[in-house]
Amino acid sequence: MNSARPNTPHPGTTQMPVYLDHAATTPVDVRVAARMAEVLRSESEYGNPASTSHDYGDVAGALVETARGQVAAAVGAAAAEVTWTSGATEANNLAIFGVAHYYRERGRHIVTARTEHKAVLDPCRELERRGWAVTYLVPDAEGVVDPEQVAAALRPDTVLVSLMHVNNEIGVVQNIAAVGAICAAHGGAWLHVDAAQSIGKCPIDFASLGADLMSLSAHKVYGPKGVGALVVAQRGETRGRGRVQLTALQFGGGQERALRAGTLATHQAVGMGLAFELAMRISSVETVRVAHLQQRLWQGLAALGGVQRNGSATRSVPHLLNVSFEGVEGESLLAAIRPYVAVSTGSACTSALAEPSYVLRALGRSERLSESSLRFGLGRTTTEADIDATVAVLAREVNRLRKIAGLPR
Amino acid sequence: MNYNDLTRRYFTAAASAGELTGPGVFRGAAGNREKGAWVQFDLQVQRGAVSAARFLAYACPHTIAVAAWLAEQAVGKPLRPVLPESVQALQERFAVPVEKTGRLLIIEDAWLAAAVPAIDYRG
Repeated sequence: MNSARPNTPHPGTTQMPVYLDHAATTPVDVRVAARMAEVLRSESEYGNPASTSHDYGDVAGALVETARGQVAAAVGAAAAEVTWTSGATEANNLAIFGVAHYYRERGRHIVTARTEHKAVLDPCRELERRGWAVTYLVPDAEGVVDPEQVAAALRPDTVLVSLMHVNNEIGVVQNIAAVGAICAAHGGAWLHVDAAQSIGKCPIDFASLGADLMSLSAHKVYGPKGVGALVVAQRGETRGRGRVQLTALQFGGGQERALRAGTLATHQAVGMGLAFELAMRISSVETVRVAHLQQRLWQGLAALGGVQRNGSATRSVPHLLNVSFEGVEGESLLAAIRPYVAVSTGSACTSALAEPSYVLRALGRSERLSESSLRFGLGRTTTEADIDATVAVLAREVNRLRKIAGLPR
Repeated sequence: MNYNDLTRRYFTAAASAGELTGPGVFRGAAGNREKGAWVQFDLQVQRGAVSAARFLAYACPHTIAVAAWLAEQAVGKPLRPVLPESVQALQERFAVPVEKTGRLLIIEDAWLAAAVPAIDYRG
């Protein structure tokens, strides 16, 4: 039922669908868009940031470095630790392949979790095809990976642990600091953290987490798509094993300390920098507001009966709520609410027949419950009216589909 | 997933959803909710024709739409031991992806499970 354009109501409806898919992406903050447009239109800021032979290059380079500092400040890192990428996927690939290849003579074992994003799992699977061994940790029923699981999985030849901070489907926050301490004690295992979902949702401090590598994305934080960063720790000496080293994946100019060749997109970097700075300015009042909305949404949905919350309620960011609806077929549920609410489903539509979410399956949910789950991603523009409208639509359609299925309401 | 207008309309309205009871009602079901698709038809037969039809379905929008359409179309027509329209014709009419052909076969099985025992009924 995707005949409607995003900027027009669906046929038979008069309003735009409520947007509750902020975990997939966020609208660009108008201040970010304006600043990016300024850079693009400027008669003095279009230089190549790597050109040091004239003022145009210096001006663009200064903009990029200011943005680098903004990103670093938002995550508790040093500016020199930030490497620009095209997004979190590239950052994850650079971290995983980069460490694996640099340390391939020392060891070929990686530890990660079954609930990681595909941008981590797919590189790990590719490394398996190339001869590396990967241990996939299974979280508990609430989506939490016990740091002791990591400790138990480490081997003498382990070179990398890759564990996300905030899960993109269920919002669960992992205890990265404890994992960081375990990796430091091991001595040979570097810690990579996919923090694409973390910024602006919960506090994150690269240095105190004990992470060696951290992937970031701009478009999850009201910034532009197409830009992200990999934070690479330069403080390794304090852990007695030197700095983490990476083998570059692309070559051709030596930019970004030869880690990521290619001319930097000044306006993209500026956009990400401002987006991260703005995210840090978001007050705790906003976090409380979103938490209130999430609770309102959950209470409204729970009242329907036959709904299950996926992921720990006490260890999640307030911006995400993942719910399974019993007695409702997943594709029909999504089709029924699509004209009214924009959310993500618990299945991957890689073909006409959807595949149930591997994250929810890893939590022990059945195929049917995994397919009939919805991920609600709340954001800065979400209002109480949005939540109430969403609950009303879900109540109507879930009851209708259960009636059609011959199941009690 | 794309759905054509007919699928959208019958999925959204599903006007024939429900059950029938009483004399001359024949029920047939196929599929399995636990496996993702289940369909049931109730056909009420009078003098060799379908006087009322209802369906229930735990299934995708295509399946619900086709079942709803069949239940609507059948009323007033002679009961025959076949689907009122072939699986292939239904697939084209509702633009059902080839990967979902199995869902149409479940519909056919449910329909025949209700219709075949009713053929000789002369109530």
